[in-house]
Amino acid sequence: MWIHRTESITYDSPNISSLLSKDLEGEESLLPKFLIQLSNSSMRTIKGERFKPREVSLFDLRIEDEDHQDSSLMIDERLLQKEPIKIEPIVDDASVIAVDVSNIKVGETNDGVLCALRAATVWKSEGSYVYLRCGPIVFHITDCGNHLLSHLGLKEPVLPNMFSSVTMRIMNRLRNTLERYTQRLVCSSSKNNIILFDGSLTAGTPDNPANRVQSILESARENGSVVLAFSKATKLSIGGRRVTHLLDQMPAPCLLDIDKEIEEQFPSSPVKLLGRVYIAKLALAGYTFRLDIDRHVPIEGAIETVSRLSGCDLVEQGYPETLRLAHILSTFTANEVIGIQRFIAKNYGLRIASQPNLRRSLFGPFGTGREIA
Amino acid sequence: MRLYKKEGDIIQLISFPDEQVEKGDYLLIEDQKVKKGLIVQVIDIQFANVPGMLEDILRDVMTEESIHGEDYDPFDVSSQITVLKDTRLIICKIRGMIDDGRISSSVSHLPSRISSKIIRFPIERAIEPQDKSRPIHFGTTKSRTELTLDAKVLDGRLNIITGKKGTGKSHLSKLLVLSLVDNKAPCVVLDVNGEYVNLSKNRSSSPETKRRIKVLMPGVNMKLTLAQVGLGTMLGVLLFALDLPGNSARVFSGIWRQLQDRNELTLTSLGAAIHSWNCHESVRDAIVSRYNTIAESGMFTDDPSEALDFEKMARELSGGEALIVNMKNQYSTMRRMTVEILLSKLTDLLMSWKMKAVFFFAEEAHLYLRETYWEDIVTRMRHIGIFTTFITNQPDTIKDSIYRQADNIFLFNFMNENDLETVSRAAKIDGESVKLIARDLPVHHCLIIGEAVKNFPLVVNIHPLNVETMGETRFFFKD
Repeated sequence: MWIHRTESITYDSPNISSLLSKDLEGEESLLPKFLIQLSNSSMRTIKGERFKPREVSLFDLRIEDEDHQDSSLMIDERLLQKEPIKIEPIVDDASVIAVDVSNIKVGETNDGVLCALRAATVWKSEGSYVYLRCGPIVFHITDCGNHLLSHLGLKEPVLPNMFSSVTMRIMNRLRNTLERYTQRLVCSSSKNNIILFDGSLTAGTPDNPANRVQSILESARENGSVVLAFSKATKLSIGGRRVTHLLDQMPAPCLLDIDKEIEEQFPSSPVKLLGRVYIAKLALAGYTFRLDIDRHVPIEGAIETVSRLSGCDLVEQGYPETLRLAHILSTFTANEVIGIQRFIAKNYGLRIASQPNLRRSLFGPFGTGREIA
Repeated sequence: MRLYKKEGDIIQLISFPDEQVEKGDYLLIEDQKVKKGLIVQVIDIQFANVPGMLEDILRDVMTEESIHGEDYDPFDVSSQITVLKDTRLIICKIRGMIDDGRISSSVSHLPSRISSKIIRFPIERAIEPQDKSRPIHFGTTKSRTELTLDAKVLDGRLNIITGKKGTGKSHLSKLLVLSLVDNKAPCVVLDVNGEYVNLSKNRSSSPETKRRIKVLMPGVNMKLTLAQVGLGTMLGVLLFALDLPGNSARVFSGIWRQLQDRNELTLTSLGAAIHSWNCHESVRDAIVSRYNTIAESGMFTDDPSEALDFEKMARELSGGEALIVNMKNQYSTMRRMTVEILLSKLTDLLMSWKMKAVFFFAEEAHLYLRETYWEDIVTRMRHIGIFTTFITNQPDTIKDSIYRQADNIFLFNFMNENDLETVSRAAKIDGESVKLIARDLPVHHCLIIGEAVKNFPLVVNIHPLNVETMGETRFFFKD
């Protein structure tokens, strides 16, 4: 059964969200109130303008704007001699909870960019998967009196009418804000679970402050949970090859501890490796992933958690099903992007603008100078 | 609604679920800048091929079995996404053009995608004649307006009413008969199931109408003397209704002429003459067996006072009357004989200008109409004033050539592909429109194609009749 709610709900509510509501201090909404206010105030600035919706087509269905990617590092070749840790799946009643958040650019106005965010939390309850999906919430990112900047701690101006790196950073920061908020809610409101994040546990950049991630991990530990973060894409490499290839020929499930080698490469500040870094191959003939496990969890406990994950969740293709579902539910399809564009046009009086498309003007097969966007 | 695509004479429109459009509706794509508009008719409604829809549905299908949950959507954005999933593609056929207020069937204009406005178009206004002094109230159109046409639209026309069983063909046919009679037109109905016989009786207990409906029962109140019938008609009966071989027919002609010369042309003397005629035994046997059939039919009499006065009948018909020839429970030979004689007599009356014209309604004509009459009806008989309406639930019993010459086709629902194929092949509009619209027509809804609607195919919900129609199917079980 799928339930759709538009009214404000809190963790006190029964049913599905009750899992997350245990021991939560006070009432807290599923989406941060300040983000909703920020969305409202940013969208109010665009009344009556024209906008150019993002183009989506049947031939361009992959429309995710970003993916977690760590920084590029070259790792010592000594790793090649390292033995992987064999994992014995443990089947028990462990609960697995996964969190993922997606953002997408949905269009441009004269002053900036329109984007949307959505968070999804998925857990396994009595043999079936349950989800709680929050959003989408939409934002108008501009440079004029940018209240987003102060809210998000950015000082650089955003250039108008351009999908600049700064705009991108604001979008990422909005996404991080929602992601960390949702992760914190899950960690603080559930006990004795295996909590899966998308990405790594590397923090310490302005976009991803270390103290916020630390507090999330602390909260999880206090509640007897262990946080595991899976990176779908990693730039860590050895001898020019991705480290994930190190386990290609190894039997599954297994882990390769590369924490020491990674740590050596990182300066002690400002970036912090809050998780112990492994390469994980959880399924035979499956993919391998970078796996970060909360550094404050003892190594034995970390390995046991992976064993329990391996026994309690589906790990076809080497990726936990709970996290896969969270990803599927949070990401936007082309159809949803058009729906959000229609929502924006209808609710904020935006008119669809015909704008010259430089790329199409220069390279389009028929040299069309203008397009209907 | 927005204009999306034009391919040939097909226009595709994008429509949201809150915009109510149905098959058969007329729309005007109005390009106000050039003061021109395309008149299009909706022939199909499909889901729009929105980008990513397959991915969306697959995602739903893949997860709905294994996962359930809640959505917290504070801005209700998802409602717009849902709307998008139900966005429709309206397939329309171009039927004409409005240029500076004038409607024409030639289309030379491509409306603007950007500035065109799409509105409902009340096609009835373009169809209904200025002069409606002889009204036929057909029913209500999709836009819930009354469709009233002048009886002139049936005058001199060949019409076909077809559709599957129980959809309302006979109902429309009765409506046409009654409307024509109300407008003082003569009608003859070949009633195979005896369902027209009570047309003068109101369905309620209210008194009978003043409509002039006369019922003829062959062999009961439809009897003729041999002299009335004449040799030509009798030969037609013998050859085409009773399959008498040509040689025997020649012998029969000799017997008939001799009796006629002697002024002894009676049924009794004909029987005696056949038996005593000098001819080959096999010829005599053939003629005797046909004579017996004729004699036993009860349609012939030697008493002139019993015989039907065709000239009187013609006068009454000409004043506005429906003559119902009740052929219920008659065996096929009898039906064929009846029709042979009736058509022959009507032809005589029309040729001699004793009648101006007659509207001829033939239900399931393949049951009694001989092969050669089909072409005759649409060519020669039409010119002398027999304006036929064929009513059938088996469209393939009517030849393609008849369809092609039909001025109006009143098409009710068909589900069967073969039936749709038959009608679509020969109808005056494209086969695609016929198939797509007729398949979804509800009971008593009819797609009118042809001259009556100035070649703008129109879906009409036919008015109910307040008369005893008796055409409904009899049921054993009660509700």
